[in-house]
Amino acid sequence: MSVASPYPKAVPEANRYIGQRSRKLKGDQFLTGKTEYVNDLELLGTVHMSVLRSPHPHARIRNVDLSRVRQDPRCISALDGEEAKQHADPIPHFISAAVFGGKYNDVRVIATGKVTYRGQIVAAVVAPSRGDADALLDLIDVDYEVLPFVLDGDEALEPGAPLLYDTEGWEDNVVIRIPFVEGDFDAAAAGADHTLEDTFYHHRYSTQPIETRGYIASWDPRAEAYTLHFATQNPHPLRWVLSAALRVSEAQIRIIAPTIGGGFGLKMPGHPEEGLTCVFSRILGKPVKWIEERDEALLLGAREHFHRFKVAFNADGKIVGLRNHFTANVGSISACPGWGMAFLAGLSFPTGYKIPATDVVVTAVTTNKAPWQAARGYGKEGPQIVMERIIDLVAEATGIDPAEVRRRNFINKDEFPYKTNSGLNIDSGDYHQALETALKLLDYDGFKAKQAAALAEGRHIGFGIAFELTPESADIPGTIVGGYDTSTVKMDPSGKVTLLTGVTTPGSGNDGGIAQIVADTLGVDLDGITVIQGDTDICPYGFGNYSGRSMVSGGNAALLAARDIRVKLSKVAAFMLEAAEDDLVFDQGKISVAGTDKAVAIKDVANVIYTLAFATAHMVEPPLEATRVYKPDNIVHFPDEKGRIQPYPTYSNAVHVAIVEVDTETGKVDLQRFGVLHDCGNMINPMFVEGQMHGAAVMGFGAALSEECKYNADGSLAADRFKTYMMQRANEIPMVEVEHQVTPSPFTLLGVKGAGEAGVGGAAGAIINAVNDAIRPTGARLRRTPASPIHVLAALKEAQ
Amino acid sequence: MSDTIHIELTINGAAKSADIDPRLLLVEAIRDTFGYKGTHIGCLTGDCGACTIELNGEIEKSCLVLAASADGGEIRTIEGIAPDDGGLHPVQQAFWDEYGFQCGYCLPGMLFAALDLIESNPTPDEAQIRHAISGNYCRCTGYNNIVTSIQTAAQRMAAAK
Ligand code: FES
Ligand code: FES
Repeated sequence: MSVASPYPKAVPEANRYIGQRSRKLKGDQFLTGKTEYVNDLELLGTVHMSVLRSPHPHARIRNVDLSRVRQDPRCISALDGEEAKQHADPIPHFISAAVFGGKYNDVRVIATGKVTYRGQIVAAVVAPSRGDADALLDLIDVDYEVLPFVLDGDEALEPGAPLLYDTEGWEDNVVIRIPFVEGDFDAAAAGADHTLEDTFYHHRYSTQPIETRGYIASWDPRAEAYTLHFATQNPHPLRWVLSAALRVSEAQIRIIAPTIGGGFGLKMPGHPEEGLTCVFSRILGKPVKWIEERDEALLLGAREHFHRFKVAFNADGKIVGLRNHFTANVGSISACPGWGMAFLAGLSFPTGYKIPATDVVVTAVTTNKAPWQAARGYGKEGPQIVMERIIDLVAEATGIDPAEVRRRNFINKDEFPYKTNSGLNIDSGDYHQALETALKLLDYDGFKAKQAAALAEGRHIGFGIAFELTPESADIPGTIVGGYDTSTVKMDPSGKVTLLTGVTTPGSGNDGGIAQIVADTLGVDLDGITVIQGDTDICPYGFGNYSGRSMVSGGNAALLAARDIRVKLSKVAAFMLEAAEDDLVFDQGKISVAGTDKAVAIKDVANVIYTLAFATAHMVEPPLEATRVYKPDNIVHFPDEKGRIQPYPTYSNAVHVAIVEVDTETGKVDLQRFGVLHDCGNMINPMFVEGQMHGAAVMGFGAALSEECKYNADGSLAADRFKTYMMQRANEIPMVEVEHQVTPSPFTLLGVKGAGEAGVGGAAGAIINAVNDAIRPTGARLRRTPASPIHVLAALKEAQ
Repeated sequence: MSDTIHIELTINGAAKSADIDPRLLLVEAIRDTFGYKGTHIGCLTGDCGACTIELNGEIEKSCLVLAASADGGEIRTIEGIAPDDGGLHPVQQAFWDEYGFQCGYCLPGMLFAALDLIESNPTPDEAQIRHAISGNYCRCTGYNNIVTSIQTAAQRMAAAK
């Protein structure tokens, strides 16, 4: 594996950190239970909030009566929506559909007028303990006028469907309709050897980190400022959101994100409870704490797409046209960025395949389900599953091997950078090689014989392939989703390094990866670097964690900042050693002159810079502090001649392979082996990258096999706990076998691409294809996720 | 406060007592009454394992136990796994070396399941490890490196014997 080096080659490879499997920073703290998550913080005088949620999916709020609850001695404070309005304005939408020509609706910390989903907040109370606060909810009397509701995306589009919003502009339930059209699909279809039409339903599922959301808001009446200990992925953007909603300046808000127990998108801003804890804290002048319960976390879903597609292709398996008009049931409108996944799902077609004519239209429709929230993959995971189904359907129709159909339609490695139909500019890759390596991982060539032998015994095994393209490190114009980030590197007079960065870690270990870059650039020990993230008063401005951006933006920014420090050290060291700067080697805490035994400790040079600023170190500007931003190349926001923008600098890719056995009696799918070839360019720490892939792939297993935000007909959530929302357990799955391919990005400094999101869609796609391969002899076809027994049996029954 | 009840426990070797609400869950007592925050809460329905502790030598999900019913018991939490000399237990060491966790929230369940398994079966195979940790959810690691960590820990502990 070749990794671009950020420093002169003189440093022996064994002494470098970049490319190595360095351990997680402060791992011992986690392992001994010393790490503090938000729920572990105890601020003096803390009181606890609980919220009352609507029992109806659609209703007008006639009256909220708080008189009984206020009489209870345990009640410290209580608010309904109209009262909360006095304290807070609507929450700005993190990514507003209106920016893209769609519709907008005010979202407040407590609903006013109407509720549009079961679970929407209608009132809130504060009490000395959470238990008391929960108990007090029974004393709140809400008078509802129940309204007809709609849960299904297609039904919500029908004329006469219940209208969710009666505010201006909402003549129907369409949030936004976005076309991605290139070439003439009808002409392509007319000229093609074959066409096929089919559907695919990609169901609703969600993130579910084991730590739920949690907030402790403290208003200091003397300083007139908030300190917010919030489990958030994006402290600075959240500060902007809250300053607007709470009518204070951003300078009056300090957000400190403690260690986070997993994010995956759930902990991105826009949640009403964020602002609500602040409102109560300001009223009371006390810290107000709220920890989300699991049934609350399960309200927030993601992805519910119904695809209706038509594919035009020739007898040689070449696809010449794709039409896919799909709906995205985004649930109710929220200020969280969830709905944007629908946009990026449309944008990501047709992934890594060259299809001359594409007619892709996504219609995001609002329904009386709870809102979407961002979920790992952020919309890009859906197209993988559908495109990979399409490739297999073409293979089936033409009689050509599915791997071969992929080879014939892939973008070639010499065609990068490659501009896709939707305007994306894919940086680099070698998809053909990736496919070959992945197929070998699970012995694709030998599988057919095994499958035939198994079938002879009445067993149904199947092999599934899925290519996955993951656009990463987005910058979405006009929103607070930035593609650049900032890092500060400081070396103190004793030579120790502190690294502050605007990216945050939800647990992945990007703090360690960024420290590896800095350690190498400065020639210092990794363990001597302190990393600070997540504090808006201390860290430089940054966007936090999403879109696989930590190394691309924060890592490269740290590289630049560390280089600035190195330049100063180098000048002074050259003076001290009476050597040429070009001959200096920074390694293991020393600066030495190549080919000699002359050396000086880096800490001594640092000390000289601070203490002899007018003598030995006269030629540099103290102190040893540098703040740099990294804006990756390849992002283009000025629309091209077709009006298309290019929001991603890098495009990771992967090929996933899965072997399953389907029990046609019970519908149970047994995932027997799983492999993935992953290419995210240069890797700072392959162990961290693999860890991301393992976790994402297993989320994909859950997506393909068991996780489902199921609703009851009455609009309540059927999957409201881990007993009914079933994630994969260790004994149900095999190892995720990962191999790497390294195709550096030409558009980022270290040749890195985003990592972290890839895996969900690819793994799910491979499994769904494997299930279809396994049940093909029965004539059945599974046209939806998840491949849980009930849906597999339904598919088998349909074929009979 | 007539509706409280008095309990006495040993936590990580230290004697503890408190007057508590009889409805208090053991996880709440451990975290809030006695301040051992390393024990986590992920569901309160017994499904995730983040609240795992050792009670009288058996691993338990402390969200499924009433604190009052643990009266007189001997408890070990994640804070009590490492040896007193400040180092790490070989299982913890292996989890660090093999990147057996990311956010760390699931560690109470994973570490105690690993300790329990290795004690009864010093040479577990992959299937046995997967079975042993199947009561715990981990949303970050996909369990891969947890399995590897436990294998490594078992091997190192066997070699050290
Ligand atoms: S909190 Fe006890 S099992 Fe999840
Ligand atoms: S490491 Fe995050 S839940 Fe296991």
